[in-house]
Amino acid sequence: MDSRWRVVCSSSTDEIIMLPKTAIITGGTRGIGRGIVDRFHKDGWNIVTCSRGQRPKDLNEKIIWEQADVGKINDTDRVIEKTISTFGVIDLLVNNAGIQVEKNIMDSTDDDWDLVIGANCRGVFNMCRASLEHMTKTGGSIVNISSISANASDPSMALYNASKSFVNGLTRSIATDHGPTIRCNAVCPGWVMTEMADVVFELASNPDVAKKDALSRHPVGRFGKPEDIANMVAWLASDESGYVSGQLFTVDGGLTAASPINPGLF
Amino acid sequence: MLMKMLSGKIALVTGGRGGIGRAIVNRFLKEGATVYAADLTPEGSLDSHKENGSIFIKLDVTSEKEVSTALSKIEKEEGKLDILVNAAGIEIEKTIEQTSLEEWNLSFAVNVTGTFLTSKHSLPLMRKAAKNKVSTSIINFGSYDGFIADPGLAAYCATKGAVHALTRAMACDHGPEGIRVNAVCPGYVDTPMLQSFFNGEGSGGQGQNIEKLKEAVRDVHVIKTYGTPDDIANLVNWLASDEARYASGQLWILDGGLSAQVQQMKL
Repeated sequence: MDSRWRVVCSSSTDEIIMLPKTAIITGGTRGIGRGIVDRFHKDGWNIVTCSRGQRPKDLNEKIIWEQADVGKINDTDRVIEKTISTFGVIDLLVNNAGIQVEKNIMDSTDDDWDLVIGANCRGVFNMCRASLEHMTKTGGSIVNISSISANASDPSMALYNASKSFVNGLTRSIATDHGPTIRCNAVCPGWVMTEMADVVFELASNPDVAKKDALSRHPVGRFGKPEDIANMVAWLASDESGYVSGQLFTVDGGLTAASPINPGLF
Repeated sequence: MLMKMLSGKIALVTGGRGGIGRAIVNRFLKEGATVYAADLTPEGSLDSHKENGSIFIKLDVTSEKEVSTALSKIEKEEGKLDILVNAAGIEIEKTIEQTSLEEWNLSFAVNVTGTFLTSKHSLPLMRKAAKNKVSTSIINFGSYDGFIADPGLAAYCATKGAVHALTRAMACDHGPEGIRVNAVCPGYVDTPMLQSFFNGEGSGGQGQNIEKLKEAVRDVHVIKTYGTPDDIANLVNWLASDEARYASGQLWILDGGLSAQVQQMKL
């Protein structure tokens, strides 16, 4: 059976009915989050998404959007209340919202800490704790969007790297504490390029060399796209992954399988 | 006066006249151990050998007969073995398509079967050493390449992954007997093997590019240099010593921070 459906028995007519499953996807306005939202919408799910900014104009009207900062408990509670009052259930929670500040630890301010740890750690905690109140009664799946920088560091991203290691640790804890009702996994994307990619290369001293260098570090010969990550999330949300829990899945085009010493580049 | 860390211990180091093996032998001698250096020739992979006080054993680790003979010699002369370092190894610089079956089998014969045979035949002597409640130590050679791949080193990467798994298996099986088993996983270390990699066809560093390649390799490391055999010997010495009596079943990456960072694109 297609795992997008929730099968229920109607209390009034005793009929078996199939309802679309419901997903909360945080940070769904752009980039990876938007890719996940679009994928699950295409697959027929009920979707609630949120972000700090404005509702994107091109977001399908069936998708419920709430303005919310996941680092603020009142905001996350509101997102979850909205989901329950609309759909009555949370089948899937995707914690995608995240913030990146490009600084080493010495340059990081208290405000940077509040921003990065607030969204990436507190935000995931807020969403998981409140969602589990409901999900532990009905069963469901949580997918956290982590990063390859949880395991190996990107320079001058101290708080971001650390926050993603927190996500990996919490993922295992939720899987351990709340199985078998809840499955919890994390996806660790590598370099996922959106329209930003070309801008980044335009800024390089030699855009052609920079692009060739970056591509040759990826065994699959291209950068990641939001759909690549959405594909993994879709699988982790499906019954195909029914025996998968507590794991971290790297989707990076082979970047971290390869040594940084790539003599072909020198 | 500084205490010597390995006084009274008997050690066998395979590949003991090679780049890293020789540094380990020298360090063990300095720490007061009796050291048997096993290798194919007295010079090993280097051009010459200056006598350092180790006892040379001619040994091809792929031959069970030679391994058995070597351990019989140590049994006769010492009656026990406290430390085994499986440092003998070879590296075929090819992709799987370029690698012949003979080269593949040789890689596994030296790097994996050699570790298996030497460890297997050392166990009876190490149990004798362990009887006195002294912890004995086997140190295998894994590699950074057992975790992530360098280009054109397919068989080598595979053998080192096998050594990592074998290390954990041996640690589980023989820990209760007082035998600790760990693997050291070096990154880029200045040895004849590394020079061969630089000169190899796959490296792109032939001819005039080799200095540029070396500089680039140093530069990509977090600490801006590659390692020396002595750096590796420092860790092997610690793992061999009683300081490490609670350390077992682990893979110890020693790579100047190389694998701590996500590889950086040159923008």
